[in-house]
Amino acid sequence: MADLMTHGGILIIAIPLLAAFLTPLVGMASQRARNILVVVSLTFVAFLVFALARDISINGIHVYTLGATSPELTTPKGFIVPVRIILEVDGMSMLMAMLWSIVSLAAAIFSLSHIANETGQSRFYTLLLLMVAGGFGMMFTGDLFNLFVFLEIASISGAALIAYRTKFADTQEGGFKYIVVSAIASLMVLFAIGLLYAQYNLLNIGALAEVIQYTTADKIALALLLIAFTIKAGMVPLHLWFPDAYSVAPASITGMLVITSHACMYAAFRICFSLYGTMLDAPVVGWILIVFGLLSMFVGVTMAVFQKDVMRFMSYHAISQLGYMWIGVGVGLAVLGNADLMATYGRDAMSGGIFHILNHAMYKPLLFFTGGALFHMTGTRDLTKMGGLAHKMKWTAILYIIGTLSISGIPPLNGFSSKILIYESVYQFNAILTITGIVVSILTLASFTKAFHSAFMGAELPEYGKVREVPKSMIIGMAILAAGIVFITLFPSLVVDWAIHPAADALINQGGYIDAITGAVP
Amino acid sequence: MTAILESGYAFWNPIIWIIVFIVVGIIVYFFRRQGQEEYKKDTDQTRIFLCGEEVPEAGERHIRVGNIYWGFFETLKEYYNQVLRVHTGIINDYILWFVAATALSVIILLVAGLG
Repeated sequence: MADLMTHGGILIIAIPLLAAFLTPLVGMASQRARNILVVVSLTFVAFLVFALARDISINGIHVYTLGATSPELTTPKGFIVPVRIILEVDGMSMLMAMLWSIVSLAAAIFSLSHIANETGQSRFYTLLLLMVAGGFGMMFTGDLFNLFVFLEIASISGAALIAYRTKFADTQEGGFKYIVVSAIASLMVLFAIGLLYAQYNLLNIGALAEVIQYTTADKIALALLLIAFTIKAGMVPLHLWFPDAYSVAPASITGMLVITSHACMYAAFRICFSLYGTMLDAPVVGWILIVFGLLSMFVGVTMAVFQKDVMRFMSYHAISQLGYMWIGVGVGLAVLGNADLMATYGRDAMSGGIFHILNHAMYKPLLFFTGGALFHMTGTRDLTKMGGLAHKMKWTAILYIIGTLSISGIPPLNGFSSKILIYESVYQFNAILTITGIVVSILTLASFTKAFHSAFMGAELPEYGKVREVPKSMIIGMAILAAGIVFITLFPSLVVDWAIHPAADALINQGGYIDAITGAVP
Repeated sequence: MTAILESGYAFWNPIIWIIVFIVVGIIVYFFRRQGQEEYKKDTDQTRIFLCGEEVPEAGERHIRVGNIYWGFFETLKEYYNQVLRVHTGIINDYILWFVAATALSVIILLVAGLG
């Protein structure tokens, strides 16, 4: 077990990568064996992720150097800086990996029936596993260039998966928009990395953080990185591609794409806190995040109320919810240089924002899955054509209600736990942020009530006389996420103490991140 | 207690809420049990009554999504006109927003650095 934990970080990336290339080969022999391979490999990865999380909670940051005689040796003999590919996994990376492992497993199980009637299923699962590997890579990598590489892997596979159902014209348009936006964002990331490398001859985030000077070129690099990850996360006003792409993908993939948005948000936080840290003009950059958050919350929810397409409706709500996270973490960033304010409310605001990432990762894919279930059975995403479906799709309706109550922050659901943390802490920074958050929550509940009434309530409609409940694997996929919601609802303090506070502290403690790299010399 | 979340200013305990919901649920169930059970299904006792008017078909009486919150949208018509104008669906416009946001961020960071 100790060896497994030593190599845990790289195994978590390598296993889905290997399974991705095995999938089409096994698929040629048996579709059932291929499906088992996908689910078993993702289950094993989830086990490894949680085991590594436990290990990190006991032993601290996990560093893994590829090609070194010992994984902890970050700087090779004869070198004064780290040059190898290094994974650096701390509390924040681990939290992201945990929610990614749960959602990808739930999505794979949901897909078993959801895409059962499509052609090219082996390619679908190959791309799904590649996206999983790319996501884990983004969360674990300790250097900027590999962040770019893994971002590319996740983006290209994501675009292909959005366009997977080629029989629908809008999927091609969605996939095209996603790849164009991703390519330009990646290009800007690469350009920013070039600016930093040209000055410091370094790519490792920890080593760079130790020497970065915050020159004019560094500021330009920061702006490029921040905006590139902001557009990839889908923040207003850079969100325009988001509903076009997310609403047309298979629902299981849309659920996973939400987490890739989180991964891009994580990358932005990592750049701000771990790379630039106390060097940057924290109040200014913090307010940039807060403004993006405010715009996303309000524009996202008001656009959502307006939608008639169930998946676009869900997409705009995802944008709106991302705003809460940016506000929480943005307030923490704004007071990064002030230890007193950080202790008074900054850490709580960050914890609230990060807690909301976890909660959002449970209820948003669940809601996308219910939207996919509606489309799967009715053949339409148009809410104006739906009605009375709760008579036939009882489990889907119940799971939708759980997701709705959670996203709207209705007590005692988990969405309330993170929102109350955000409201109470950011109120001390600026009361407008809390007031906006509460108004957005009310509008969220109002719009989900409207969608619920339109799709599920009312008498049975004759055109849906043959509709029945979705297949079991789709129910199981949704139930996994609903179980996550119930667990976090019942034990919020356990989750916050074990996963959320360590994640917030990992971002705040830039010194710890740097020491994990520079402290281990041969 | 793993259920009690300390927010720094107050505490949050979902278990108390769940207990309250269960108690309220039991009370509601108790009152429901007192109701009339001796009705006949699929007779006029259980059919929709609209003051003697003919009841429309299921599809016609279902309030569709487009008819909900009409007043909200009417009040915010100007806001929606402006916001919808931005959502062109054209990828070139999306990239223009990206360029504008990047340029604005660079300017903000550089100007803030001067102070």
